[in-house]
Amino acid sequence: MNFFKRAWLNVWAKKGRSVLLILVSSAILMFVLAGLLIRSAAVKATETAKTDAGATMTLSANRQAAFKKIQSSSSSSSSTSSRPKLTLTPVKLSDAKSIANLSNIKSYNVTSSTTANAKSYDTVSTSTGMGGNSSGGPGMKSTSSSSGDTQIDGVTSTALTTDFTDSQSKITKGRGIKASDKGTNNVVIEKELASQNNLTVGDTMTIKETTGSKSTLKVKVVGIYKASSTSSASAGPMSTDPANTIYASYTLANTIKGSKYAGTADSVTFNVTNPAKASATKKAGNKLISSKYSLSTDDSSYQSIKASMNNVEGFANKIVWLVAIAGTIILALIVILMIRERRFEIGVLLSLGEARWKIVAQFFTEMLMVIVIALAIAGVGGKFVGNQLGSQLVSQSTTTQTTSSSTSGQPGGSGQPGGSGSSGMHGGAGGPGSTTSSAKTKNPDLEIAVSAVDLAELGGFGLAITFLSIMIASGGILRLEPKKVLIS
Amino acid sequence: MLRTEGLGYWYQDKEQPLFQDINLEFEEGQSYAILGHSGTGKTTFLSLIAGLDKPREGDIFLNDRSLKQIGLTNYRRHDVAIVFQAYNLFNYMSPLNNLLTAMAITNASHAGDRGYAQRVLNDLGIGDDLITRNVQRLSGGQQQRVAIARTMCCDAKLVVADEPTGNLDEDNTKEVIDQFQRIAHEQGKCVIIVTHEPDVAARCDHQYRLENKQFVQLG
Repeated sequence: MNFFKRAWLNVWAKKGRSVLLILVSSAILMFVLAGLLIRSAAVKATETAKTDAGATMTLSANRQAAFKKIQSSSSSSSSTSSRPKLTLTPVKLSDAKSIANLSNIKSYNVTSSTTANAKSYDTVSTSTGMGGNSSGGPGMKSTSSSSGDTQIDGVTSTALTTDFTDSQSKITKGRGIKASDKGTNNVVIEKELASQNNLTVGDTMTIKETTGSKSTLKVKVVGIYKASSTSSASAGPMSTDPANTIYASYTLANTIKGSKYAGTADSVTFNVTNPAKASATKKAGNKLISSKYSLSTDDSSYQSIKASMNNVEGFANKIVWLVAIAGTIILALIVILMIRERRFEIGVLLSLGEARWKIVAQFFTEMLMVIVIALAIAGVGGKFVGNQLGSQLVSQSTTTQTTSSSTSGQPGGSGQPGGSGSSGMHGGAGGPGSTTSSAKTKNPDLEIAVSAVDLAELGGFGLAITFLSIMIASGGILRLEPKKVLIS
Repeated sequence: MLRTEGLGYWYQDKEQPLFQDINLEFEEGQSYAILGHSGTGKTTFLSLIAGLDKPREGDIFLNDRSLKQIGLTNYRRHDVAIVFQAYNLFNYMSPLNNLLTAMAITNASHAGDRGYAQRVLNDLGIGDDLITRNVQRLSGGQQQRVAIARTMCCDAKLVVADEPTGNLDEDNTKEVIDQFQRIAHEQGKCVIIVTHEPDVAARCDHQYRLENKQFVQLG
């Protein structure tokens, strides 16, 4: 193993050349490491996005099936008969619970919306007035077409609704509606409504049902929220002012709708643990429900982040391979020049009877010594380069994402404004309680950190680059004839 | 010890060989000088007996074993030591490391023995102050003595030298030839020197001149 000693003596004796080789190798490995770091950070960010961005699955009445039913009944009935009405079946909570038991479901939020009239307070008046003429729950054939001036959004928890998760609404006093509010008359009212009526947490207010016996109900204010936009201009012509929206437990909303709505909901939104498995979960959920219901998934936030991170990952992969290939070529050229310069030494070694593979091994060992030091330098510098490149890539990716989102985003949710009377839905599934995805998708920041795995991978690349360079260059050594070198 | 049988060599045209049908014998403990004008093929002949090239025709035998049988790499490693006009030392090493490296590669009996290498160098006038200095900082004469020391440290019984005094002054030439004589007579090795200097050749035990594609024994 004399070639180890020769390699060391050569590297040590030719310090200037060794330092230059270390610098070149460091630069190559630094970019390889930067690529590896960005790639692993992108993979990690995509994994994080699964939990952060999440995905939802909404169980609601199957409108398409209901329409088909109308069409078939209208074609079979005589032309003089009355026009059939759209009948949507409210979601049974027992069905929702069976879906909630699926392995990929993290939590679920029940939504039941209705309206009521203000009794002990004044609603926030708007210039557009109240145009809604529907009441009652979803899908129930309503006999009344009256609509209240106060929107009641029954939910399991306000914390699970999109308005609150997206910070469009914020609790400013007291607390939000929680699962433990089930069966209570606790409500959360808007700040504007509270200040207009001098209401605060702990106060009670009276509302009046718009259907049935039109009895009054006393509700207790447990929290006050502030909506980021309370302008009535954004609401439809038949909507109440957004400030008149009261959050309550879905049980209270069902009580206001009527006794037949007990144990039902307009829709149920499930939070999916792993968005990548959202479609599989939907498939499993569909097996648990009848055709009267439909399950829709919304993993657009996850998909957009995933697409963005895939771009970053793809670019990082290209960096790694391009730099690795370019690095191999550069190092191979340097080694070829180095070997040409050392022809006499190789000749002497051959004249002494040294095996050619040992001469190649000597060059490989020399490069290995250089690469080890370069690895250490790259390990320190790669993080910096990776950070710079990574933030540039993410910012570019975010810009692209924002552009594409603004062209493909859908205004509003799937809800119905007002209600047509026959459906008896007020706001339907598109009410504030639903978790319709927001167009705002923030790409996660890349957390660039050098791990032992990254360094091991870099070491592998370093070794491969060195090995290939030496193999390419060693063709010269293997062909070298000592006589031609030593005896001119 | 070393014998050539019908040795011939040409570069491109077989009809114009450098030499042909060479039958010579070289013995241990003797020194041989090969003289000749430039281009006559004496260095080529040396490269053949040094195992650096293969003959076009004929064969070379070492103790009655053909070099083809021994294998050129094995032959160079164990049986022959070469001294070049340009010294051809490892320029990134000290004289001591040059010797230790050669001893390690050739698996010499004293491989790894720094003391032995040091003594050999000292005997050739390379003092302790020089043995750890980079060889590039030595004079031509000193470098050639290191090259000779390298052959002395190895166990090879055959020492071939190509114009070993070509770059040396008169004093150094005399000293180098003395060393070759010592190698032949004291270490019992066979020394073959290719030279164009008659004075150098005269100091060897036997002289041959390569002319008209044949070797002519002068003495």
